[in-house]
Amino acid sequence: MAVRLAELTAADFIRRRRRLPASLIVGGTIVAALIVTAALAQWIAPYPYDQMHVRDRFQPPNLHYLAGTDEYGRDVFSRLLIGSQLSLVLGATATLISMAVGVPLGLIAGYRRGVTDEAIMRVLDVMLAFPPIMLVLLILAVTPPSLLKTAIAIGVLAVAPIARVTRSVTLDLMSGEFIEAARARGEHLHYMLLRELLPNVWPVLMVEASLRVVFAVLLGAVLSFLGFGVQPPAADWGLMISNGRAFVDTAPWISLAPGIAMSITVIAISLVGDGLREVLDPKVGGR
Amino acid sequence: MSALASPSAEPLLEIRNLTIRYRENDRQVTAARDISFALRRGGSLAIVGESGSGKSSVAGAILDFLGPTAEVTGSMLFEGQDIAGLAPAQRRQMLGRRIGAVFQDPFTSLNPALRVGRQIAEPMVQHLGLPLAEALSRAEAALQEMGIDRAAEVARAFPHQLSGGMKQRALIAAALACEPPLLILDEPTTALDVTVEAQILRLLSRLRRDKGITLLFISHNLGVVRRLCDDVAVMYASQLVELGDVHRVLELPAHPYSKGLLASRPPLAAASRNNRLAAIDGQMPTTAEPDAGCVFAPRCPFHEPRCSAGPQPLTIAPDGHQVRCWKADELGPWPRQQVAAAVQPAFRRGDALVNATQLSKTFGTRGGLTSWRLSVAGGRPQLHRPPKRAPAVNDVSFSISPGEVLGLVGESGCGKSTLGRLLLQLLRQSGGSVEFDGADLARLPAQALSPFRKQAQIVFQNVGSSLNPRLSVGEALERPLALFGLTKPRDRTQRVAALLDMVRLPVAYRARYPHQLSGGERQRVAIARALATEPRFIVCDEPVSALDVSVQATIVNLLADLRDAFGLSYLFISHDLAVVAQLSDRIAVMYRGRICEIGTAADVLAPPHHPYTEILLASAAEDEPAAESAVGIAGAAHGGCVFATRCPHKLGKICDTTPPPLRTLTTSHTIACHLDVLPHDVGAPPIPVRPDPLRAAI
Amino acid sequence: MTGYVVQRLGAVMFIMVAMSVLVFLATHALPSNAAALILGQYATPETQAALEHKLGFDQPLPVQYWHWASRMLQGDMGQSFEMERPVAPILWDAFGRSAILAVSSMAVVSTLGLALGVIAAVWRGRWPDHAASIFTYFGVSLPEFYWGLVFILLFGSTFHLLPSSGYANLSDGLAAFVSHLVLPVATLTLTLLAHVTRLTRSSMMEALDSMYVKVARARGLPERLVILRHALRNALIPSITVLAQDFGFLIGGIVAVETVFAYPGLGRMLVGSLERQDLPMMQAAILVLTGVYCLANLTADLLYGVVNPRIRYGGSVG
Repeated sequence: MAVRLAELTAADFIRRRRRLPASLIVGGTIVAALIVTAALAQWIAPYPYDQMHVRDRFQPPNLHYLAGTDEYGRDVFSRLLIGSQLSLVLGATATLISMAVGVPLGLIAGYRRGVTDEAIMRVLDVMLAFPPIMLVLLILAVTPPSLLKTAIAIGVLAVAPIARVTRSVTLDLMSGEFIEAARARGEHLHYMLLRELLPNVWPVLMVEASLRVVFAVLLGAVLSFLGFGVQPPAADWGLMISNGRAFVDTAPWISLAPGIAMSITVIAISLVGDGLREVLDPKVGGR
Repeated sequence: MSALASPSAEPLLEIRNLTIRYRENDRQVTAARDISFALRRGGSLAIVGESGSGKSSVAGAILDFLGPTAEVTGSMLFEGQDIAGLAPAQRRQMLGRRIGAVFQDPFTSLNPALRVGRQIAEPMVQHLGLPLAEALSRAEAALQEMGIDRAAEVARAFPHQLSGGMKQRALIAAALACEPPLLILDEPTTALDVTVEAQILRLLSRLRRDKGITLLFISHNLGVVRRLCDDVAVMYASQLVELGDVHRVLELPAHPYSKGLLASRPPLAAASRNNRLAAIDGQMPTTAEPDAGCVFAPRCPFHEPRCSAGPQPLTIAPDGHQVRCWKADELGPWPRQQVAAAVQPAFRRGDALVNATQLSKTFGTRGGLTSWRLSVAGGRPQLHRPPKRAPAVNDVSFSISPGEVLGLVGESGCGKSTLGRLLLQLLRQSGGSVEFDGADLARLPAQALSPFRKQAQIVFQNVGSSLNPRLSVGEALERPLALFGLTKPRDRTQRVAALLDMVRLPVAYRARYPHQLSGGERQRVAIARALATEPRFIVCDEPVSALDVSVQATIVNLLADLRDAFGLSYLFISHDLAVVAQLSDRIAVMYRGRICEIGTAADVLAPPHHPYTEILLASAAEDEPAAESAVGIAGAAHGGCVFATRCPHKLGKICDTTPPPLRTLTTSHTIACHLDVLPHDVGAPPIPVRPDPLRAAI
Repeated sequence: MTGYVVQRLGAVMFIMVAMSVLVFLATHALPSNAAALILGQYATPETQAALEHKLGFDQPLPVQYWHWASRMLQGDMGQSFEMERPVAPILWDAFGRSAILAVSSMAVVSTLGLALGVIAAVWRGRWPDHAASIFTYFGVSLPEFYWGLVFILLFGSTFHLLPSSGYANLSDGLAAFVSHLVLPVATLTLTLLAHVTRLTRSSMMEALDSMYVKVARARGLPERLVILRHALRNALIPSITVLAQDFGFLIGGIVAVETVFAYPGLGRMLVGSLERQDLPMMQAAILVLTGVYCLANLTADLLYGVVNPRIRYGGSVG
């Protein structure tokens, strides 16, 4: 199957003018908008995220404060925008880390087989034996938290699933004879991995990466919510929801607004992932 | 007697003007156009054609298999009723009870989670209303009738526990569970070994004789069709081009395509070096407008302007024979190809290019921690490892001279692919040595392997995966040039063009990707890639097995031309003896890791034979092969002759315990067998052989 | 089959040992001084050193590990730094309460999730499928704690239907017991349900598209039989693996949900022990939760081996 997935090239879209699935277009647009918003957050936000307007505390959403104000009088909407930076950076960094470590591991395990493969798989098994949150808590609890540490912890957690997926796609590709043909030319390891295998693994990895970004954003939110992520007064969405807990009866928007922002982000990224999957393997869409 | 219905008797199945269209990615593809035929009770009709001809779609339409994207028009009358007009519930009822079906791949046709007997019994419970217990015992009886000895065990087994041949027998039993009058089979033996195929065909003949079942048999294999069917319909690019009695069509084909198809099959005879197979140039169109003229015209050596002038109707002769060609009566045989007599090289034993000595390979370690197994023996649990595996290649020795082609033939699993890879050092041998140009490859340091790799290349079977899907043709061909520094960077483009020319592909193909090429084209690119390093020796591992018959002929011819042009040596591996005989100077027959017989092509094909060669020849010659002594898999290696468990001429205990000696019949012909072969009496074979296995070429 | 069981058992034992080593090492890498914490205001270099010696912190790591591991295996989980009481009884009490949540959630998720997935696959392209799609999208796109808050808002604060926190013993009455469980269980179930539904749907679709299902239809078997006997059996086999994986997410979810609902379970205890750097409690809680996950995976693997004929009946016949 991996060989079949790999047959699709970008040129195909242009040449055959295949229609991109709706999920990809919609999701892609929203994600693009989010990225732009996050990048320009400092300039778009009406107020600095930590500026307290003591007289305007607990204001419901209105024209001055689009999402209301929190218990310190800070503008929730501005904090949402800044928070989007944190979430997206966290998602992207964690995923990049996990791919930087997981993809080579998976490629080597799948290509080399034998003892190398066994050893790598055992290590991955141990990592996968932990319920996801345990591993991260273990790492974070023993060191002072920060955004980078959280990203690294989540990244480390995601190494095992990425390595596994890479390995299984690599195994699939290894049964293709073009690999043997390359060996019959006496190609070296780095050529095999980089030029023969990796280009064929990319499509599946793209889909997997979108899943990992979603996972990272959500897990990051849980960690901040529990107090193990970024620390106050940062405008992290999970932290905002946690702060707003105490006021959920009187000022629900403090918690609800970040939740809505998070759900839009996550749904958009999921749509992109689904769209990619549909493009690569139309059967799965269920048409 | 013709399966075609005579006007008086009502046909069992009558298809009129069947047209099948698919909607695919905003395009409409016509799979079958205006197909009509009638099948009488007790007859058997084959629909033959290459892949893409539409033959499977016809079966699919009858069985309602095609899915919602298919549009079916025309009438399909079964026992007088139009199938298409039936309500779904009635159609379903009819499908199970009155029409049975067997498909190509036995491995995916059985539900892996249900026991086999259950799957056979189900239709009986549904359609005949039998209680489950009775249906199960009938299922067991059916399996026995299919020639399975331990029917009770097999009925209780799950599909993954059975071999391919047994699965197919079970599927036939399931199809016949309710004793339907019509059985439709879509390429039922294509995925099976040639000897298993022979068994299945014998079974089907017997069923026809004993039960009078009507068969509709879809296949691309003309030999199989001849053995089993009364009539044959030939399909090409969605149209019916010829329909008639099987012997008539296969011996005196009327339509040019039928002629070409039959002419392009290699005869089972040693071919001289300047012999080429008749081939059909070009390839089957995927979409065709019938109003634009005869679909076959672009590839037809007999075509005239009138052929392309408009739709070509079917001419029906008084005896029922139909041909879609207005010129059919005037045509001669398909034109033959001959090339200028090439110098037949004299191969001297001394100067071997490739020399294999006592080569053997056993796969796999005995497993790591995870392979230990627990068993309870004599009431006490024991932990033990799995037994040692049998060697895939066992003590094989031969040599190939420069410019010589050695054919290697055997069934799947005999180790021939492994042997090919050992010669190229893609696998490390467990024992023995491989010498190339006098140098022992195993002793060469790593750097010295590179020059060897340049001189020895390989072409694979699986056209779908032998090219990197992400590289264009040009990129794939440039890589070997860059790797071995064969040309300066600015000359590479030219060299790639030259390579494409050598394999007769247009230069424009360099920008294409593999998925944009047909099977035959991909194989040509693979051959070009192998040629890029300017090798002296190429291992051809089943290079044509995955291709259609007409395409096979062009590739075989291409390989022959390249051999002559560049003085190449080949190890030509195939399970198809006829194809091997076409190209090879010498042939080696392999069974379960050992070479049973080796000699010149003429020697091996003529008697006396090794018993296994005899069976292969008979299967290839489409006659009833000598009955084997047991159905199924041979036993594990036990020190004696590997073929002992299946050999019809087994002498006795000596065959089981002692490895057979190598009997040298002539300086070049060796057979490994205990039987007393008279070395000089070539004309009087001591082993009874069926009437001349060589068939006359068309 | 026996080979498979032996292999799985061996793997689990290896993983448990490796995992315990990791937990031990990570927690002992705490930069903060455990001894100083315990002693509080009485901490001086001498008392610290004395306590460290008493607690065995000055011994080489492998020795410490060995002591720790053997104690754990005997059920002695040490003394909580914060509460100055043995960890084990507190932990098992909390474990019991979390188990109620976990079991109830898994029960709902398994039955409802599989059913919804199958329905979505069978009616693919039509409204049940679309409804399921929308539901799964929202389900997976928000973390549990958020749904928890929404539920509290809706059912607790606005409509005062259900209690929004805490736990009631069975002895206090069935109604009270159940009412405290409803919201936490619903929250846990929601996210997992989406995941299981989606994966069951694709597994079922694959089964329905398979050759053997087409062959069954070509034999004239009624659609209901084809779906239930032929397709479902094959589709459910991979679902076992999915449910096992979800158990891992469940454990993560429990941590968040118990915090939101102030439910006195093991998850909340774990969070507390992390905040207060209560080493023995932390180690014990992580070990127990991870151990339960390992066992759940082992059970799933064994169940998979039983249900999958390829593993249960190896070898060949005839």
